[in-house]
Amino acid sequence: MLTQLFVEGLFAGSVYALIALGFGLIYSTTRVFHFAHAAIYTAAAYLAYSGGLLGLKLYVAIPLAVILASMLGGLLEIVVYRPLRKKEASPVILLLASLGLLIVIQNAISLLFGDGAKSIRGSAVSEGLAIFEARITAIQVGIMISSVLLLALCWAFIKYSNKGKAMAAVANDPELARIVGIELDQVILFTFVLGSALAAIASILISFDTDMTPTMGFDALLMGVVAAIVGGIGSIPGAFLGGLLVGMAQHLGVWKLPTQWQDAIVFGILIIFLLLRPQGLLGKPLKKAAV
Amino acid sequence: MEYILHILVMIGIYTVLAVSLDLLAGHTGLLSIAHAAFYGLGSYTSALLAVHFGAPFFASVLAGMAVAALVSLIVSLPSLRLRDDYFVIATFGFQMILFSIFNNWMDLTRGPLGIPGIPQPTILSWTLQSHVGFVGLSTIFAAIAYIVVSRLSTSPLGRVLRAIREDEVFVQAMGKNILRFKVTVFAISAALAASAGSLYAHYITYIDPTSFTVMESILVISMVIIGGAASPWGPVIGAVVLVTLPEALRFLGLPSGVAANLRQIIYGFLLVLMMMFRPQGLMGRYGFGR
Repeated sequence: MLTQLFVEGLFAGSVYALIALGFGLIYSTTRVFHFAHAAIYTAAAYLAYSGGLLGLKLYVAIPLAVILASMLGGLLEIVVYRPLRKKEASPVILLLASLGLLIVIQNAISLLFGDGAKSIRGSAVSEGLAIFEARITAIQVGIMISSVLLLALCWAFIKYSNKGKAMAAVANDPELARIVGIELDQVILFTFVLGSALAAIASILISFDTDMTPTMGFDALLMGVVAAIVGGIGSIPGAFLGGLLVGMAQHLGVWKLPTQWQDAIVFGILIIFLLLRPQGLLGKPLKKAAV
Repeated sequence: MEYILHILVMIGIYTVLAVSLDLLAGHTGLLSIAHAAFYGLGSYTSALLAVHFGAPFFASVLAGMAVAALVSLIVSLPSLRLRDDYFVIATFGFQMILFSIFNNWMDLTRGPLGIPGIPQPTILSWTLQSHVGFVGLSTIFAAIAYIVVSRLSTSPLGRVLRAIREDEVFVQAMGKNILRFKVTVFAISAALAASAGSLYAHYITYIDPTSFTVMESILVISMVIIGGAASPWGPVIGAVVLVTLPEALRFLGLPSGVAANLRQIIYGFLLVLMMMFRPQGLMGRYGFGR
């Protein structure tokens, strides 16, 4: 029983880590509390699904869905966030605008596809591999491995490529980054596209394991945001740790408490972190109130 | 006719919610996503007291307000150390936890089954049953909330609150204990939201957790913002617009599922457009930190 819960926690955690990473990159680089990240996540799964409806093969439909969803993320930045940033809107305005975008896109999806569960899985659910006493499907193992690989790739990208370094510079101090000749708008747009691509991949991966619904993004984002804050916003190892912590807390909590308290456990952890260590496990200390 | 009266009652209830949130979000600059949780606390407290102990209407309303004010301390004391989006996220966390309690504490709230058979209010041995009576009652509630908030905001206290919103450090330097002000305002706002909850419970006579979700909090926030935060009539107008607008969609003869989505899409769009082009709202002066 315990090993089963442990493996499930590991699986959930690896997906939360991907969402936390995309969300955290966007938040730390652009200071947008990107609620609409959830909309991108949902849209990607439904795009892949509609690709299937149009008769595309999965290996065509999936990359196409990831590209389209990333473009949607970029579009939101160009149409909504960029003009707001030029007007020097406060973080709360950006947050509310993002919430509005999420509501619009999520409901548009539910209008188009209905609230019923949809699936892109081809075959029947397989019996699963036995690891110690725990059961886990091959798909779940694949999802975990892909998610860890993606995290490692992103980490290397930010550490070593020029674009990645520019992102880190903007996150650290946008004004200074502009002064040394970094194109702010370009870097921020790129961050949105990259973050959205990560969300899209996470959502399509998870669609192979769980059916999709129009609210899937919101539920997943909540866990991702908690993971990002707990791990330390913008830190890639932090996103990984945070994701694992949230996934584990959610599933190991079930060992002692009834399942329906999962959400309360996760948000309890969030509150504890916000109070005691708001910068998260691996984040930099938050700046004090600006005068 | 009854339908129009029902809408009027709901406008009264949402006016209480929007006006009380405006005290917190508009006048003091503390945007809270936990308003539906306090609305729910008021609802559940007075419903449980009325159903199990036969508490009279006004006693149960006051009890609901007291419980909400007390719980608001648990929320406000810790979260007020946080700023801007971190504060918003902390209130979000509390909203999720409280909803989880409404939804899962089966022994107390009966979870998703809800609490049926809440008695209609009896005032001086006269039981309120007609819609007209409820319109009167909810107008009184809305008027009280409106007067409380507008008196507070024009008082010296209101001036301190606006100063806190504009420049916290400065107010601190003037020797004001900002934490005390914030906690007080949070408690007043929560208690007012709870009074709306009690009224709702006694009016509908049945409550379940779906009325107190995050989305409900966001709806109230949208009312404040679309109407105009920190303006005398803004939140009231926001409540009127966002309660009647979806009802107007009803007459287009759309299937109910489509109408629900369309309603959400419209207020999502309004929220984005307002933030982009008029963050101070239809009537407002304050544009959330602009």
